[in-house]
Amino acid sequence: MSRKQLASAALVAAVALATGFVLAGQVRTQLLTPSNQVARHEALVRSVQDLEATNADSRRRIAALRAQIDSLEAQAAQRSASTQELRNQLADLQAHAGLTPMHGPGVEVVLASGVPTPDLTDQTSYLVSYQDVQDVVNLLFAQGAEGISVGGRRITPLSAFSGSEGQVVIDQGPPLTSPLKLTAVGDRNQMEAALADPSVLPDIRARQVEFHLKLTFSGGPDVSLPAYDSSLQIPYVSAG
Amino acid sequence: MSQPVRPASRRPSPRLRGASVWLIALLVALVATVQIRSQAEVERSLAGTDTTSLAFLIDDLHRANDLLDAETADLTGRQAALQSGSAGSADQVLAAEAAHLRAIEGLTPVHGPGVVIVIDAGGLGVLDLQDAINNLSAGGGEAIDVNGHRIVVGVATSQANGSVTVGGEPISPPWTISVIGDPTRLLEVAQLMTQQLRTDRRVRQADYRVETDLAIRSVVSERPYVYAIGS
Repeated sequence: MSRKQLASAALVAAVALATGFVLAGQVRTQLLTPSNQVARHEALVRSVQDLEATNADSRRRIAALRAQIDSLEAQAAQRSASTQELRNQLADLQAHAGLTPMHGPGVEVVLASGVPTPDLTDQTSYLVSYQDVQDVVNLLFAQGAEGISVGGRRITPLSAFSGSEGQVVIDQGPPLTSPLKLTAVGDRNQMEAALADPSVLPDIRARQVEFHLKLTFSGGPDVSLPAYDSSLQIPYVSAG
Repeated sequence: MSQPVRPASRRPSPRLRGASVWLIALLVALVATVQIRSQAEVERSLAGTDTTSLAFLIDDLHRANDLLDAETADLTGRQAALQSGSAGSADQVLAAEAAHLRAIEGLTPVHGPGVVIVIDAGGLGVLDLQDAINNLSAGGGEAIDVNGHRIVVGVATSQANGSVTVGGEPISPPWTISVIGDPTRLLEVAQLMTQQLRTDRRVRQADYRVETDLAIRSVVSERPYVYAIGS
């Protein structure tokens, strides 16, 4: 083999080697990055699941403690007239705070996400948001609701709504997703009339047309609300 | 005349060629499978919630669980006091719980650290007020007053004849929103809220101030139930 042929072979080998390295690097990047992303995502999902399990346990424990305290207060009230008087006053306050189950005439509203559009600039408007829930809750209270629950979570005087991308978080509960059922006890006729009024809830009405978001409701003679099962702590507030 | 002989070593045998083709095909298939599976796995797992939303969710759940722990500790203490058995301790527990619930339901004046936000604007509607109140409640607010009207969830806020009403009474701009609660979190919310409001063309002024002991004197009127029955 001549020197020229040797040089050509060496050049081809070097180019092949470089191409091999580039290809290997590319394949490694392509394979490792997604698998790292997957691992990170899965770790976050596991954390959420663990925290949600703790959350559910805590809420069960709170509900059990409130039931035990109620029983102890009832026993104490049997022993003293003044305690009985205090207990009667407390019962009304507990009812208004959402700490006791409630039933009566009312409405059930279902909010469900619609259909996404191909428009890439608007990828969330078809989803039920916490603002939608907030708007319906405010409407119902303005129209004679005396108590409301959302997705089985009782609304209290301190309740707040938050969330993102189709997740609705109420107080300390886990995120709720579509479809969401809101139940309200109160002036059934007034609430039904308001929900049927096309001029109220303008944002939801517009998205019903554009994204097929769903808002349905029905009245009932006796609907039920559960008791609140989370925190009512107000550590920064002092009376007086 | 002799036939020219082809050099046998220059061309691989048909068996070797077949094996090479199969080997290359196998490698291509392997790489393609790994690649496609990785991609599918990513798409499947990311289909629900994005990583940033998950991180926010974890933060919210941590805060929620801390609050639930505090509530559990408080209830456990109340249970222990009641289990002590004396009528005096039971009365104390009941009175303390009643005072606590009165504050939550807006039935008594309250005070504590907080922020005061002043928004002067023309054309803001009830949805703007409801958004502001919800943002402040979600951001650590525990007691809220707007222009001398106590706000709790359940107090009707609506729009009538172009003006915003709270509990049936109209409120005129500027809105002065007083909020008692976690001062650190409320400060962040107030900063963000006023920053956003200043970009709104309807808003003439949006400012806030922090108060170490803010007093809210307004109260909500007690409303007996007409329709609801306790279970």
